[in-house]
Amino acid sequence: MDTAMSEEKLRDVFDQVTREVTEKVGGIRLCVGESSLDEDACTVHAAFARGFHSSLALCADMAMFTRLTQSMLQAEEVTPQDVEDFTKEYFNVLCGHIASRLFQVTKVASRFGIPEFYNGRYQPENQREQFAICYSSDKNEGARLSHFTPVK
Amino acid sequence: MGKKVMIVDDSRVVELQMEKMLENSDYEVVSFCQDGETAIEQYSEVLPDLVTMDIIMPGMDGLETARAILEDHPDARIIMVSSLAYDDTIEEAKSIGTKTFIYKPFDRDQLLSALDEVMSEA
Repeated sequence: MDTAMSEEKLRDVFDQVTREVTEKVGGIRLCVGESSLDEDACTVHAAFARGFHSSLALCADMAMFTRLTQSMLQAEEVTPQDVEDFTKEYFNVLCGHIASRLFQVTKVASRFGIPEFYNGRYQPENQREQFAICYSSDKNEGARLSHFTPVK
Repeated sequence: MGKKVMIVDDSRVVELQMEKMLENSDYEVVSFCQDGETAIEQYSEVLPDLVTMDIIMPGMDGLETARAILEDHPDARIIMVSSLAYDDTIEEAKSIGTKTFIYKPFDRDQLLSALDEVMSEA
């Protein structure tokens, strides 16, 4: 991210907002720590469209995204399309809160694109992973939040 | 029949959530538009009591859409709904003439409170 913020500070903002929003939106508690991702892991990705030139991706076990959807929809039965749509909305909220928190520090107003959902892991083109934060959920599901910056 | 609410949001998730939250209330969702252009067309046909408007949408964003609706219908009651909480965005929304802001994620009480507040201003 092209701000005066250090990587450490960015990590703190991303981590704090991710844990807060995931618990508030989906009732899922995340703890920082190494965790392995299942083979059926999926990724939700959004690029910052104004202010910053980077992107964020959250890759997590399908079980976690399914649980998130069940909580948001308040229903046990959910379809794969529900999981995709609700995960994108959750990430939309997450990115909005991150952009708002960054604005408080940098006074740079950013916007981000519509989140996209991918089966498996996703690596955006012409970007490299600057850093990642790994999580384990309260049900031992794995998740990895990655911050990508353009390849120079 | 309850007060008519139009939801403008590119995500069907918001429609599902709001419909559920507004069950057994004084409000009824009568229209759901997934983009700004459709919302502008639909507004004149539906003439809702209230509009909830997302900011980030493909094509016209929520601020542009609100501005266009308010040009033709200065009395429209539009509530902006977003997870973006910038002072400049909030100020812009106010200057256009929208009524208030609801921050995502929100619960039923927060939604009803915002709708009641805006209706009571009339």
